[in-house]
Amino acid sequence: MAGRSLRAHLLRLLLPPIAALLALGSHVRVGQTEYRFDLPPAVEQVLRTDRFDSIYYRVTSPAGLEIAGDAALPAPPGDAVAHNTTYQGQKVRVVSVQAPCGRSACNVLVGETMVKREQLARDLLLQSLFPDFLIALATLVIVWFGVKRGLQPLARLSEEIKARSAGDLRAIDAAGAPEETRPLVGALNGLLEEVSAASRKQQRFLADAAHQLRTPLAGLQAHTELALAQPMPDACRAQLEQVHRATIRTARLANQLLALARAEPGARSSSENINLKDLAGAEAETWVRQSLARDIDLGFELEPAPLAGDAFLLREALSNLVHNALEYSNRGARVTVRTGRRDGHAFLEVEDDGPGIAPEERAHVLERFYRVPGTPGTGSGLGLAIVREIAASHAASMFIADGSTGGCRVGITFPHG
Amino acid sequence: MRLLIVEDDAPLASGLQRILEAEGHAVDVTPRGEDAVAAASHEKFDLVILDIGLPQMDGFEVLRRLRGTAADKTGPTPVLVLTARDAVDDRVRGLDLGADDYMVKPFAMPELTARVRALLRRSQAHGGPRITHGPLMLDTVARRAFLRNEPLELAAREWAVLEVLLAKVEKIVSKESIIQAVAGWGDDLSPNAIEVYVSRLRSKLEPAGIRIRTVRGFGYMLEEFK
Repeated sequence: MAGRSLRAHLLRLLLPPIAALLALGSHVRVGQTEYRFDLPPAVEQVLRTDRFDSIYYRVTSPAGLEIAGDAALPAPPGDAVAHNTTYQGQKVRVVSVQAPCGRSACNVLVGETMVKREQLARDLLLQSLFPDFLIALATLVIVWFGVKRGLQPLARLSEEIKARSAGDLRAIDAAGAPEETRPLVGALNGLLEEVSAASRKQQRFLADAAHQLRTPLAGLQAHTELALAQPMPDACRAQLEQVHRATIRTARLANQLLALARAEPGARSSSENINLKDLAGAEAETWVRQSLARDIDLGFELEPAPLAGDAFLLREALSNLVHNALEYSNRGARVTVRTGRRDGHAFLEVEDDGPGIAPEERAHVLERFYRVPGTPGTGSGLGLAIVREIAASHAASMFIADGSTGGCRVGITFPHG
Repeated sequence: MRLLIVEDDAPLASGLQRILEAEGHAVDVTPRGEDAVAAASHEKFDLVILDIGLPQMDGFEVLRRLRGTAADKTGPTPVLVLTARDAVDDRVRGLDLGADDYMVKPFAMPELTARVRALLRRSQAHGGPRITHGPLMLDTVARRAFLRNEPLELAAREWAVLEVLLAKVEKIVSKESIIQAVAGWGDDLSPNAIEVYVSRLRSKLEPAGIRIRTVRGFGYMLEEFK
């Protein structure tokens, strides 16, 4: 189509000048010594008429004398047949032809302004650019889709890494990764393995440290209790009681630090099927003994609450909550341990009717080693921080709410189960 | 009673020895598992307190060997395991190997002595026809109860509930487990019915200083007689 259109354009472009040339040449009359040019005005009118362009002509004798037409129309230089030049301030293409007149030849020049030519050039340019543009566009789209598709495994890989919890140090599966990224995945897995090994080493160290601390503490506790059973001066007894309390506190601190380390992101906590009801029931005896010593009414409202979690950590969380409630309640107080399901979520909580925690203190009590100013007793300020860490390691949330009869209700709501 | 303590930490071992001797027991101490196995094969102990974290032969191995002796098969020696580790696996493994009770270090001495008493009582009562608790005595063969040597009238279900509580002195017994233990008596029992039996038992036993404590929402605990 472009070809046909091009030919049509060329024809339209060339026909008037050719017609003009032929027509002009045939109008030269040769006399004895001179040339005459008799072009009827009607013919000249037709020749000069064009829809877009102006047409000029010039006829000269073999000797170079002007015979007719636009005398100032510039002839092509030398032997050239055609040239582009300027005439009357317009760009003009001029063609020169030898027309026979008598025994020699006259020179006929025909000029035409270049509106049609330039239009054609523009049309040609557009016609050739449009398909190029389409091809470029199609290429772009194909490349975009191709690259996107090609990078999909990489995107999957980064999604997988992003979705991981801080504690998930398993190696990345290299099978789905693109060939080119295998070395990267390999290097990443190497790093993960190193971090995981370091974490295991730290866990082992902490377990060993706690173990090594506990035996001498047990000895210390045994001997202070033995000594306290002996008759002795009151001053000695008061001091020995201080030693005894410090021993118990140190033992508790060792346990808490171990629990905190185990709940830490990156620690290998185990996941097993647990029922919080059974877990609380198994510890009830220990807690009841502690509550008897403090003359606190410790009660239980235990409903089944199955979930997958780390039994050691969840027991530690509950123990810390119970210990806190017993520690900060007065004699004769009521403390209740609850487990069950609420709105489809397993939960554990301990409610007391003690002094409670002021709303502005609630965020602070979750910080490690923070103790509410003016609190009696000798807590380490680790208890609730541990509960929070343990909740976090189970993707669960910890809450502190007002108790139904004053005091507060502290617990964990689990996302599943 | 003859007790054997297997513990390599000298201060703790001597502390335990003195506390248990103060309770009126004859106590031997060894820091080595091998010696404990040898001693137990020659003599009969009434209770072994065994630390898991021993050098060389560890507590699990000692326990396995103790349970393998011929004397142990006829009348098993109660074993109370001590550990400084709180791994659940250790606990399960210890109990699987035949430990009777389990304590994590450090522990309060009253708790230890209470558990020792409970274990000794259980092993003495094992198969025996008479159960005693302070001024209370139950003759399980004749099905007759005595309080301060006077006959004590107990209804069949009161007897059953009391038997369950006496088997676990100083331990919390859930209402469910009491119902299960008494369920053989025909029609189903509600937790409320158990409360009625316990309150009747209280009115009969408390004048003699025997106390049954209620653990709210959970069950009961027969306190140690003091």
